Amino acid sequence: MLMMKAGVFRPAKLVSLRKIESDYTAITVDARGLTIGAMTTLSDIEQSEDVRAHAPLITQTMLTLSNVRVRNVATVGGALAHGDPHMDLPPVLMALDASMTLVGPKGERTLPVADLFTGYYETVLALNELIAFVHVPAQNGKQAAYMKVTTGAVDDWPALGIAVVIVSDADAVRSVRIVASAATDKATRLTSAEAALKGNRIDDKLLKRAAEAAVEEVEFVSDMRGSAPYKRELMRVYVQRAVRAALNESGER
Amino acid sequence: MAPTETPAATTRAGSQIGRSVPRTEGRDKVTGRAEYVHNMRLPGMLVAKIFRSTVAHGLIKSIDTNAAKNVPGVLHVVTIDDVRKLIPNPYYGPAFHDQPILADKKVRFVGEPVAAVLASDPHIAEQAVQLISAEYEELPAVFDEVEALTSNVFVHDELQPAATFADLKHLKGLKNTNLALSFKLRRGDFERAYAGAAHRFEHEFRTQKVLHLPFEPHATIADYKNTGVTLYTASQGPSFVRTEIARLLGWPENRVRIKVPYLGSGYGAKLYIKLEALALALSMIARKPVKLALTMEEMFYQITKHPCTFRIKSGLDNDGRIVARKCEVFWNGGAYADIGPRVTQKAGVTASGPYDIDNVSIDSHALYTNVTPSGALRGFGVPQLVWAYESHTDMIARELKLDPVAFRRKNLMRDGNQHTTSQVLKDAAIEPVMDLVLDRMAWARQLEKGIGVIRRGRGFAIAIKTVTTPTTSVAIVNVSADGSVTLYCSTIDMGQGSNTVLAQIVGEVLNVPAESVRIAQPDTDVTPYDMGTLGSRSTFHMGHAARLAAEEARDKIKQLARDVGEPEGSNIPIAELFKKRYGMQAGNIVGSGTYKPDYVSPAPETGLSPNVTPFWMSSGAGAEVAVDTETGHVEITKLVNVIDCGTAINPKLVETQISGAALMHLGFTMFEKMHFDGGQVTNASLADYKIPGIRDLPGTMENLWVDNFQGNGPFGAKGVGEVATFCVSPAIANAIDDAVGVRLTELPLNPEAVYRALRAKAGNPLDEA
Repeated sequence: MLMMKAGVFRPAKLVSLRKIESDYTAITVDARGLTIGAMTTLSDIEQSEDVRAHAPLITQTMLTLSNVRVRNVATVGGALAHGDPHMDLPPVLMALDASMTLVGPKGERTLPVADLFTGYYETVLALNELIAFVHVPAQNGKQAAYMKVTTGAVDDWPALGIAVVIVSDADAVRSVRIVASAATDKATRLTSAEAALKGNRIDDKLLKRAAEAAVEEVEFVSDMRGSAPYKRELMRVYVQRAVRAALNESGER
Repeated sequence: MAPTETPAATTRAGSQIGRSVPRTEGRDKVTGRAEYVHNMRLPGMLVAKIFRSTVAHGLIKSIDTNAAKNVPGVLHVVTIDDVRKLIPNPYYGPAFHDQPILADKKVRFVGEPVAAVLASDPHIAEQAVQLISAEYEELPAVFDEVEALTSNVFVHDELQPAATFADLKHLKGLKNTNLALSFKLRRGDFERAYAGAAHRFEHEFRTQKVLHLPFEPHATIADYKNTGVTLYTASQGPSFVRTEIARLLGWPENRVRIKVPYLGSGYGAKLYIKLEALALALSMIARKPVKLALTMEEMFYQITKHPCTFRIKSGLDNDGRIVARKCEVFWNGGAYADIGPRVTQKAGVTASGPYDIDNVSIDSHALYTNVTPSGALRGFGVPQLVWAYESHTDMIARELKLDPVAFRRKNLMRDGNQHTTSQVLKDAAIEPVMDLVLDRMAWARQLEKGIGVIRRGRGFAIAIKTVTTPTTSVAIVNVSADGSVTLYCSTIDMGQGSNTVLAQIVGEVLNVPAESVRIAQPDTDVTPYDMGTLGSRSTFHMGHAARLAAEEARDKIKQLARDVGEPEGSNIPIAELFKKRYGMQAGNIVGSGTYKPDYVSPAPETGLSPNVTPFWMSSGAGAEVAVDTETGHVEITKLVNVIDCGTAINPKLVETQISGAALMHLGFTMFEKMHFDGGQVTNASLADYKIPGIRDLPGTMENLWVDNFQGNGPFGAKGVGEVATFCVSPAIANAIDDAVGVRLTELPLNPEAVYRALRAKAGNPLDEA
């Protein structure tokens, strides 16, 4: 919308999806988790008891996602298909291991959200393909956090987003997914950081090592919200803080 | 308050001053009934959209408007050649007649209007604008204010000062310069005193380009007829617009009518003349009413605050007294002067701060550059100066290990002292303001600074400002035959509450509740002259004019009572007086008042004057911060804002003016910034340029004023609107230094800037981008 308003994006044709909207605005729960229609507004997701019960990380994320006016009209499908690396939902959905049902003339296919983005505002979606549903596995007691780091107004787009979903007991991290956004040209899984954590017991040294691995594995993008070297430092700090936040630990402050 | 609920019965008349009267227009605004230019439509009205320059500096080789003209629904595509046929000298501006109605042979900044499309529908006009193309021969451009002083790139071939300002006459026709005006002040002998000083300090401070962003963008409707022209415009100064439009047309002022409905704020963006000249020209060409209304994105190409570089030197004796101070201030005026030369001069007067210094040298330079023009923004340049001199003051105290309070107290100006200009200070509560800040900050108590990742600190700052002067306000008070009262004046209520305050003043004099006084909408056919709603001048200047007008009406009512044979002291209702005089409900009593304070122009060679301002504004701010040493994020845990406004005529409005001014400046201090790439603004929208939201508020915020009485003010009052902007930036920078020992000298104080300073201090600087 902003791009059209600014004249940067000038579509020759616009197709309204309003008439099929009612088929794609439901939130349902089954044994695997949540299925969210792609045209469900972010407000409906924010207020859904099912989402709160099965994917509380999404509910928490909504609190700092843009503002209530935007959440009232923006949809989950739009937040994904746009491919904007500054969005809050893509890293969260990737960390939750969500997938999508895509529909096109040849029928349906399923794609993990983690495989959607190919670059800055670029996705694997074909021109004649739509996101129909988003499937979110139930969190089932996995601990999670999303940290949105802004460098201007609190309500600005983030300079860095970090989503963490983790299972950890007293002995070791059993599973973990960490996804970064905004500082990179697309939402990106920090697999080296995950590998550093997995099987080890969380302590300051381990977290530092994971953060170090994280900043080594991605390329940072400079923009008006921060230079690449600065975003690198932010990630180094926030990978640690996000894991601690997920585990409800405060760390040294 | 609905008319039937007028609280006449419950509110004691004659006690209007010091009462928090709710805003008279508040109900209309929150229920969507208030009129704004954006919502107005005239029969047969066309809409205009602007085609803008994409280069910062260039000669126009050609403009191709053919494709745009062929779009169905487009009536005209206009360039300067079309304008010149109707307005032979199509240049305007308050200080310099340097701004062409549309680019004339040359473009001087990215975003400058080059052509305009007139259509029946805004979307058609917008579409047609996209089909216009222009070819430019690009010229080297100059963007930096310090560079502009010595650059070989000249934004204008020749200076064109407006004849209205006598002190600019000597600049007429000057070539090969970007210097629009220099203000100079010399007191004592700076060079000698500085050379002999025991301690010498020299620092440079910079501020960034930011803008006003009133929530209502600029909008004007022009309705031109041979017999007269009416402009409906979102303006803070209808009287000035009328003068300037009459000048462009070569008409007497009484054929030009300027009407101003409510404004969705202004902050200085809507002063002097903005869209009005182009809207007039377009209506003349179309022979129809034309609306020109900017989008929020276009605001980035209209007017901004002045970026500024301030080089300051101070010499101290061994006793901690400042004996010498030199201020060199460079103002980045952008491509057209607007009111920049006045900012340069009026702010320049107080560049050395609220300190009693015997030897002062001030040079304040207005410079042309190839960016969006700069103008007045809530403080008329003073916030940029205070940012520098109060950071400098703290840096000196820190280096000499002086207590920042004692150091200031030792050097502070007080009533009875001569200000730098030689004017004797009167009713300026500078020290009481500082004391209240310190009291509310609990300064005597140590602050727990912390030892972990988060470090805490605190800082404060104090400032003074003159009021833009000499300026004139005229008011008319009309008492109708039923006794109801209307005030006619051209002060614009843009949200600051001037209507309410003026109603209180009139009500106080006439002994009626403020809620019953009607304020006529500004309309130059009806409401008399006012210099403009700017510079915290309305309560003082228009307040006096309204008081005088009400007093004259009151005297005439007394005379009427005598004429109809009422005994002295009779309390017969006013309506009965009219009936007795005219035999029915008929007639009017009209009182008028004109106010212009005394003034002595600063001497051209020394800048000295015994009377540069009728009152002094002073303010102080104190900040407590928590700095995240791992990321540079600064949380403002407490912000105390204190001002001296003399009598608070409406305490609630004073409080909201203080909080509004401080929060606006919080954005300018912490993160707001127009980013540029080769003269092109790269964040020209609210998606990428954020202003403070509710979650950016300090943890605690106090908005206070000291008990003071302005002897020459209306009921002891003086201006409020800008005062709380002055000290926010240095108070926060001083607090950051206190917390983590780094000193930032350039705004904004964003996390990366703080983090980089921390790394530099640790001897491990962060790589450049």
